[in-house]
Amino acid sequence: MKGALRCGKPLLGDFLVIVVGLIFVAFLFKTLWHNEQAAKLQIRLGDKIYATYSLDQNRNIDIQGPIGITRVVIADGKARFESSPCPNQYCVHQGWLSHKGQAAICLPNQVSLELLGGEKPFDSLNY
Amino acid sequence: MRFLVLIFALFLSACGKAPLVQTKSYVFGTLVDISIDGETEERAHEVTSQILQDFQRLHHQYHAWQSDSELSKLNQSFVAGKTPIEISPELSQMLTQAQTLSKQSQGLFNPSIGGLISTWGFQRDEFTPVEINDAAIQKLVLANPQMSDIVIKGNTVFSTNPAVKLDLGGYAKGYALDLALTQLQKQGVKNALINIGGNIIALGQHGDKPWRVGIQHPRQPKPMATIDLLSGWAIGTSGDYQRYFEQGGNRYCHIIDPRNGYPAQGTQAVTVLLPPSPQAGVLSDVTSKPIFLSLPDQRSNAAKTMGVEHYLVIDGNGNVTLSASMNQRVRWLAKPAKITVQ
Amino acid sequence: MPNSTKNSRIEIHTSPDDHRIAKLAALAIGLHLIEAVLPSPMPGVKPGIANIITLFVLYRFDFATAAWVSLLRVFASSLLIANFLSPTFALSLAGALLSLATLFFAQYLPRRYFSAITLSVLAAFAHMVGQLLVVRFWLIPHAGIAYLIPVFMTAALVFGVVNGLLTNYLLRISPAKFDEDKG
Repeated sequence: MKGALRCGKPLLGDFLVIVVGLIFVAFLFKTLWHNEQAAKLQIRLGDKIYATYSLDQNRNIDIQGPIGITRVVIADGKARFESSPCPNQYCVHQGWLSHKGQAAICLPNQVSLELLGGEKPFDSLNY
Repeated sequence: MRFLVLIFALFLSACGKAPLVQTKSYVFGTLVDISIDGETEERAHEVTSQILQDFQRLHHQYHAWQSDSELSKLNQSFVAGKTPIEISPELSQMLTQAQTLSKQSQGLFNPSIGGLISTWGFQRDEFTPVEINDAAIQKLVLANPQMSDIVIKGNTVFSTNPAVKLDLGGYAKGYALDLALTQLQKQGVKNALINIGGNIIALGQHGDKPWRVGIQHPRQPKPMATIDLLSGWAIGTSGDYQRYFEQGGNRYCHIIDPRNGYPAQGTQAVTVLLPPSPQAGVLSDVTSKPIFLSLPDQRSNAAKTMGVEHYLVIDGNGNVTLSASMNQRVRWLAKPAKITVQ
Repeated sequence: MPNSTKNSRIEIHTSPDDHRIAKLAALAIGLHLIEAVLPSPMPGVKPGIANIITLFVLYRFDFATAAWVSLLRVFASSLLIANFLSPTFALSLAGALLSLATLFFAQYLPRRYFSAITLSVLAAFAHMVGQLLVVRFWLIPHAGIAYLIPVFMTAALVFGVVNGLLTNYLLRISPAKFDEDKG
C-alpha cells in the first residue's frame, strides 16, 4: 500500500482545476460574506416571512411548521434554533447566529432564520 | 499541495474589508448621520468627531434665537442702528453668499425675515400652534427686510433697515455640508456620506456602488423613492411635513413667503439635486425654497433661475412633477398615481 | 423464434453487464446508506463517497453505465430510507442529474492531463449547485442561503479532491478486473 497516494497523484490538469476551484471559492466568500453587526432576526416559514424580531430582547418563539413546533431563542443579541422536530437536529447544531447575513435552516420543518443588519435599500434618508 | 494552500490563504486574506462606520448624533437641532467607508474604525471616529465638533460650533455661533450667538448679537445691532460692527470672516463670507443667492431668487430666498419666522413660532425647538397675529405679520411684511439692506465691507457690517433679523435656517445646514466635505477631503477620507437633518452630501462611494439615498414620502412614514448620490453631489428637500403645526384644518409649515408673510401653501415637498461644486451643499439647502414658494406654473422658471436642473415637486394634492433629468435618476419605491415630467 | 412467447411464464433475460451494474449499484447504495447514517456537521454537506463508484464505473465502463448506477442509487436509496419524493430525494436527484450532465462533457477531457480528480471536483461542484438550486428555488427561497454557499462549495471542492484521489487509487489497483464479482 505504500505510495498509495502517489499512485493517485494529481496530473497537470487536475492542479489547474483545483487552483481555479480555490479562486472560485475565495471569490464566493468575498462576495457573499458580509460581516456586520446584526440588529434583527427574520424568521421565515416556507417562503413567507413569519415574523421579524429585534435582537435586543430575550425571548422564545415557537413556530408551527409542517412537522411540528420549532423553538427559536433570542438572547444577548444572538439567535438560534433551540429545538425542532426534525430527525437530524442539524438546525439546532448550527448554534448561535450573531452577525448580519448569517442564516440557519430547518429543512424538514421549513423554518429558516436570517439575521438582518437593518440594511435598507438606501444608505441615508433625505427629508 | 502547500502551494495550493498558500494561494487559498492569500485570497482569503484579501477579503478583510474596512468597515462602514456610521455615527448618529443630535446637532443643529436635528439628527446628523455621518457614514465613513474604507477607513479604520479609529480613523473614522476621529474624523467624525472632528466634524461633529465643527457642526456644534456652527450651530452655536449662528444660532437664530439664542441671544448669545454671534448671529443674535448681529441682529441686535441691526435693531440698534446703523453702526457697523465687526463680524467673523466666516459670517461675512456667509452673508455675502446669502446676498447673492437672495438676489438670484428675486427675494424668495430671504434669510432676513427672522421676525416673521419668530411670529409664526418657528424659532423654537417644538412647534405648537400659535395665535396668528395678522397685524404683526402685516407690519413685518411692510417693513420689507431684505438681504440687500445689509452693507458688508470686509468684516464689518451694518443694516439700513432695522427690521432685518437674520435667520440662517435655510442656509446653515447646506453651509455645514460644504464645510464637512472640504474637511473630509483635507483629512484624506475618500468615501463618506453626511446627512444633516435630511440634507445630504456624498463623497466617493459606498464600497463599489454609489451612495444611495432614500427620499421621504411627505405624508407616509416611509421613503417613496431612492436615488444614487455620486461623489460631490448634494440633495436637499424643503417640506411641509417636518416643521409645521395644524390649526383650523390648515397646515402651517416653517417656509414663510416673504411676499405675504404667510407659510407657503399648495406644496408638500420640493427636492433638489445639485452637481459637485464648492457650494453644492449650500445650493441644496437654499434652492428648494424659491421653488417651494412658487406657483405651480412658475416652478420650472424658479428652478432655472436658481440654476437647478434636477428637481422634484410634490404639490398639495400629492401629485408629482419633476424635471426630465431628475426623472431619469429617480427610482420609485411606491410609484405615485400622477407624474408629470417637465 | 423466441421461446418466451410459447411459455406460460415470463422470463427476463439479463446480461452479464446487467449483473455488473447491479453489483456496482448495490455497492453504491450501500455506501450511500452508510453515509446517510453517519453524522455530518452541516446539513447538505456530505463526502459523497458513493460518487467514487460512479466515477469508477465511468472509467471502467462507459457513461451510460455510470448514469444507470448513479440514478439507481438515488432511487433505490430513497426507497430504502423511505424518503422517496421528499425534499431530500429531490436534492439527491438534482445533485445527481447535474453532476452526471457535467461528467458527460468532462469525460472527454484528455486523460493525459486530467485524472479522476478533475472529474470528481467538477461533478462535486455540479452536485452542490444542483442541490443549492433546489433549496433556493423550491425549499427555502430567500437570500439567507447566500451565507452558506461559500462553505458548501468549499466542502464540495475538498470532498471532490479526496474522492478523486480515492478513485484514482482504486483505478490503479484494480485494472480491468471487473468481469468478475467485485468483492
